[in-house]
Amino acid sequence: MTGALGPERVRRLYLAGVASGFAAGAWLGAAEAPTKLASLALPPVVVSLAMVLGVFVARWSVPALVRGTAGVGTDVREAPHLVVWALLAGGLWAVANTLTIFAIRDIGLSIAFPLWNANSLLGIVWGIVLFNELRGARRAQWFAVLGGAALMFLGGTALAVASTRATTGGHAWRGVTAALGAGVLWGTMYIPYRKAYLTGMNPLSFVTFFSVGELVTMTAVAMAQEGGLATLARDLVEARAALFWLLCGGFVWVVGDLFQQYAAKYVGISRGIPLSNTNQLWGLLWGLFVFGELRGSGVERYAEVIGGSLVMAAGAVAIASAAAGATERSAWEAAARREQTRYHVDPAYVRAGLRGEAAASATRGRRPVDWLIVGSASAVFVGLGLLARRPAVALGWTAFTGLVAAMLALLVGTGYLLWRTTRFN
Amino acid sequence: MGLKRTEWRAVLTDVQFWVPLGVLLAGLLLLRWIR
Repeated sequence: MTGALGPERVRRLYLAGVASGFAAGAWLGAAEAPTKLASLALPPVVVSLAMVLGVFVARWSVPALVRGTAGVGTDVREAPHLVVWALLAGGLWAVANTLTIFAIRDIGLSIAFPLWNANSLLGIVWGIVLFNELRGARRAQWFAVLGGAALMFLGGTALAVASTRATTGGHAWRGVTAALGAGVLWGTMYIPYRKAYLTGMNPLSFVTFFSVGELVTMTAVAMAQEGGLATLARDLVEARAALFWLLCGGFVWVVGDLFQQYAAKYVGISRGIPLSNTNQLWGLLWGLFVFGELRGSGVERYAEVIGGSLVMAAGAVAIASAAAGATERSAWEAAARREQTRYHVDPAYVRAGLRGEAAASATRGRRPVDWLIVGSASAVFVGLGLLARRPAVALGWTAFTGLVAAMLALLVGTGYLLWRTTRFN
Repeated sequence: MGLKRTEWRAVLTDVQFWVPLGVLLAGLLLLRWIR
C-alpha cells in the first residue's frame, strides 16, 4: 500500500518515531512536577479537572500554532468516524487520570507509577491482537520488544521499591486497584490512537477531538463526585491559587502526549508506548534532584535507584533497536486496508498517512481564528499566573535548569526531525 | 458530528469500538467504587 516507500524512507520514519517516543518520556515525566507545587489539600477530582482544563487549552492552541485548524477540517471530512474514537479515547484518559490521583493519595507516587505504567504491556497485547503488530517479525524482534517491555517493568518496579516512602496505610488495596485500573484504561486508550493513525489521520487533528471527550467526561465525573455544578465551581474558585500550576502540568503533558501520538503512528503501539514510558526515569530525576526526595538516604538506596534506572533504560534501548521489517510492515498495511475498506476511506488519504505525507486534499496555512485560539490560550495562562501563589517548596534550581534545558533540547531536536521527515503529518 | 447511518453501522459493528467502550464503563464503575 505504501507503494515505492524505499528503505531509506522507512528508516527515517522509524527514527522519527523512536525519537518521538523518547521525547514523550521526557515531557510526560515532567508533567507531574507542576502538580507537586499545587496544594495537596485539593479534592482529587478538582486536581484532575484543572489538569484537563490545561490539557484542553493546550490541545487546541498547540495544533493551531503548529499546523492551523484548517487541516483538522480536512481530516474530519476524510475520516469522520474517527471523531467517535477520539472522543472515546478522551473519556478513557480522563477516568484514568482521576484514578491515578486516588492511587497517589492511597499508596504514593512511587508505587503507583510502575503499576499504571504496566499499560505498555496491555498496549503490546492490543497491538498484536488488533493491529497485526509484530506479525511476521523475526524471533529477535519479538524477543527485543517483549524482553525490553519486561525489563522496563522490572526496572520500574525496582525504582518504586527503592523510592518507597511510608504509605498512608489502610487503603493500600484501593490504591493498587486504582493504579492498575488506570493502567488498563490507558493501555486500552492506544486502540483508538493506532486506529486513527493506520487510517492516516494527523495526530494534531486527533488530539483536538480527544480533548473534547476528555473535558466532557471529566466535567461529568467531577460534577457527580462533588455534588453538582455549584459545588464544583466553588471548589475551582477556592483552588485558584493552585490552578496555574495544575494547568501547567496539563500543558507539559500535552507536549509529551503529542510526541507519544507520533511514536504510536510511526513505530506502532507495541514499541511507541514502552518508549514513552521512560517518563518514569524523568519523573525520578525531577523527584531526586529538583524536589530533594530520598535526601539523607543511604548509599544502598541510591544504588537500587541507579540499578533500576539502568535496567529500565536497557529495556527501552532493546525496544528502540527492534525496527519493523518488511514482512511486519506489510502486516501493518493489511490492518490499514481493513480500516480503509470498512469505513470507505479514500485510499490516497490512507496511503499518504502511512508514508508520513500530507494528503492531496489537505488544507494548509493558518487562519485568523488560529491566532485567536493561541491568543486566548495565552491569556488564560497569564490570567491564572497572576492569581497563582508561589508555593513554599524548596527547589534544586541547578537541576531544574538542567532538566528544563534537556526537555527543550529534545523538543527542538525531535520537533525538527519530525518536521523534516513528515512536516508534522 | 454528522455521521451517516452507514458510517454509524460500521462503527457499531466494529469490535475495536466495543473494547474501549467496555473498558471506559468499567473504569467509571471503578471510580464510583473508589471514591
